[in-house]
Amino acid sequence: MLNRYLKTRISDARKLVKDLRKHYDYASVLGTCVSNRYITVSTHVNSIDEVDSECGFVIKVYKDGRYSEYSCNDIRGLKAGDVIKAVKLKKIVSADFKVRMLEEKEHVEDYLREDKSKLSNTQIRDRLKEVKEKIEKSDDRIINFVSRYNKRETSKIFVSDRKCLSQKYDWINVATMIVCREGDNIQSNYNSEGEADSKLALKKFAENAAGVADIALKLLKAKPIRPGRYTIITDPSISGLIAHEAFGHGVEMDMFVKNRAKAVDYVGKYVASKLVNMYDGASSCISAASYFFDDDGVEAHTTQIIKDGILQTGISDSLSAMVLGTEPTGNGRRQDYQRKVYTRMTNTWFAPGKDKLENMIKSVKHGYYLCQTNNGMEDPKNWQIQCTASYGMEIKDGKFTGKIVAPVVISGYVIDLLNSISMVSDEVKIDGSGMCGKGHKEWVYVSDGGPYLKAEAKLG
Amino acid sequence: MKKSEIRACLKAQRNITAYELISTKKDSRELFYVLDHLEINRAVKVNSDVIRVYVADGKTTGTSTVTVTAADDSKTLARKLKNAVKQAKAARNRYYPLAEKTVNIRKLSKKKADLNEVAMKVAEAVLKADVYENGWINSTEIFVSAVRKEFVNSNGTDHITDGFKIEVECIPTWSSGKEEFELYKFYESDRLDCDQITKEINEILNLAKARSEAKTLKQVKLPKDIKVLVKNDMLETIIGNLVYDISYRNVYMKENHYNKGDKVSDNPFTVTLKPSVSGCAASALYDDNGIVLKARPVIKDGIVKANHGDQRFGYYLGEKKISGKLPVTELKAEGSTYEKEKHLIIENFSAPQLEENSGYWGGEVRLARYFDGKKYIPLTGFSIAGQIYDDLKKVEFSKEQTLMSSYKGPKYMIFKGIKIS
Repeated sequence: MLNRYLKTRISDARKLVKDLRKHYDYASVLGTCVSNRYITVSTHVNSIDEVDSECGFVIKVYKDGRYSEYSCNDIRGLKAGDVIKAVKLKKIVSADFKVRMLEEKEHVEDYLREDKSKLSNTQIRDRLKEVKEKIEKSDDRIINFVSRYNKRETSKIFVSDRKCLSQKYDWINVATMIVCREGDNIQSNYNSEGEADSKLALKKFAENAAGVADIALKLLKAKPIRPGRYTIITDPSISGLIAHEAFGHGVEMDMFVKNRAKAVDYVGKYVASKLVNMYDGASSCISAASYFFDDDGVEAHTTQIIKDGILQTGISDSLSAMVLGTEPTGNGRRQDYQRKVYTRMTNTWFAPGKDKLENMIKSVKHGYYLCQTNNGMEDPKNWQIQCTASYGMEIKDGKFTGKIVAPVVISGYVIDLLNSISMVSDEVKIDGSGMCGKGHKEWVYVSDGGPYLKAEAKLG
Repeated sequence: MKKSEIRACLKAQRNITAYELISTKKDSRELFYVLDHLEINRAVKVNSDVIRVYVADGKTTGTSTVTVTAADDSKTLARKLKNAVKQAKAARNRYYPLAEKTVNIRKLSKKKADLNEVAMKVAEAVLKADVYENGWINSTEIFVSAVRKEFVNSNGTDHITDGFKIEVECIPTWSSGKEEFELYKFYESDRLDCDQITKEINEILNLAKARSEAKTLKQVKLPKDIKVLVKNDMLETIIGNLVYDISYRNVYMKENHYNKGDKVSDNPFTVTLKPSVSGCAASALYDDNGIVLKARPVIKDGIVKANHGDQRFGYYLGEKKISGKLPVTELKAEGSTYEKEKHLIIENFSAPQLEENSGYWGGEVRLARYFDGKKYIPLTGFSIAGQIYDDLKKVEFSKEQTLMSSYKGPKYMIFKGIKIS
């Protein structure tokens, strides 16, 4: 259920909005309470903490063509005058410019999605410990096993003249990190299972831990890749990373407002192979970024970004939509209540195709099967891409050779990469354990994924 | 909650062996520009309190950390602390004590800065650089914050410090006539220096111009084994990784590549970790455990001389003088000459990468400048890759110096034999 404290602040928010409307053309209050529980079981350090939790409010007001915001801990007793004083600028360094005011439709609703498994800390810790001990015993080259359970419980309220919304949703991640050592050669591997249900997340963690260790040990024999152009098969996490970096950031419409996205000129045009379909949306699946309304109070959407290779539309927060004269898509997100809203991705994924993975691998003359997201970086203006896979497995004449390369950086021009997609598998996996920054800050939880893809790419 | 109420709650919990309370009070003003118009302004006034509870029995220590939020009152905090004791008892580790009490630090600002006024001065300094016909600042975000931090523990340590920080993120753009090219700039400082801000924004605008004129590796053939110079965030990442490698934590967990006495490099450079350096925004007088920080030389003549780090792992390693977590690295080295020979300066990566275990480093280069012996040629659209633990053996440094958030020292690290593709 919605955080009890936030519930007590709904009437305060209503009163504050009413008072502020005497001074401003628009006013809203967003309240957030996020509770994070971490249980860590590892070779060297164990802990159970409740950190990264937050509770606070953002008051947004509009007058004379400009928005102002005030972030604070509590709104009880907060007067309209306090907000006016906090956001008032004595001197303004700015060209003359007016942003349109947000238009809202009447909407009153309460939403709920909770973890169905009620597990105690002891039950969770014991499960983590059991797996840890098994893995540690399996090979003496494993020098550190770290497992971490994180349950994030998010409660939010949004109150304006025409809206009164509340939501509560949970998300669970169980992460594994394994470090192994042979002489001076140190390698690590990790995995994270994100689910809306604790039991399911722990089950997947237990099932996959041995595989994480196996790869970590294999990485001890990994060699750097010889740079060049290769045929690649991407696993769903790398497909998701490509979706996220290639066309996720590129269609965030606050970038359209700033004329920072090349994509604005390509709506309605081919940007990828005809086999490519791509979606984003908080309601597009149940994953790490599945909420019911965004931080502007806009309901979650599912947006088809690419249809049969043609760019359809972007995703946007309310303010960007007002400037561009489009409909907001429920993608207005804040890192926390202390930060501004930006257009942000949610769950971003390529849709499945018709190919079987085994046939895709058989079709490769010489190339690499690329696995596991390491990191990536966008360049929406110039469409350069950098995606790093933790490792790659060599394929020759349709068969794995047993050679592993690590890490592998995919780089190049986005359109070249997406146009080279020649096979798309019939199964989709969405990984809900990542975080995404905007530029180099503003971290929010996102998920991404897709099918296995066959493409041509520059690897280094 | 008031500090007095939090302390009363802590005192009432009899099963707590020790505690640390870290309180932060932040007051900030933020301006968000699209081109030269202010789109939104923000004010942030928030407090936060984090409590770390220790339960120890001489052989083991258990800890649990809780966040005190606005939703808490004495009743809910008492419940949280009771629960934290239970969690700390359940999550036992090898014993370690709280940091010993030392002199209490009090560094309070005498004058309260007008944050709005400072933010507007920063905005003026940024826009002052926006003077080019074909180049402009696409968007700018300015954050000016005053932060008061308080640290209290059950040993009687009681520190309080005021901090000030200016952060500017901006996107310079340059039009070639056919296409627009952009780069990314992040500036951070603990003091207002308008001339420096204007200078740095002007520099990055000119680098955006260089990107608009940049050639590819197909158009320019680089000599084999060219000297590659890295700077800014890549340099800070490499130095940060080297320092982390010799931390107590890494040594204890056997994840370190270097032990005391090991030679990192043939280059006789020196690394000293420091609490604060003027202009370095990461500066701090004490760490998260309340340890009052003092400078510690960790690498001398390219050889590891000492480890460093936090209370827990320092105690585990039996260190007599635990350094605490020192935030600033100062590197001194004899400067090499590179100016007259062919070299490649990496100005801007998409995202600099360094994998601490395997030592892989590199990334996709958005802009580099190749000196062909006569002139600089801007280059783009290629990647570099190396193995940092091998590459450090022959590293050189520039004579030019720089100052970043957590680093003071040579502006460039100079490598040879880096893969360029």
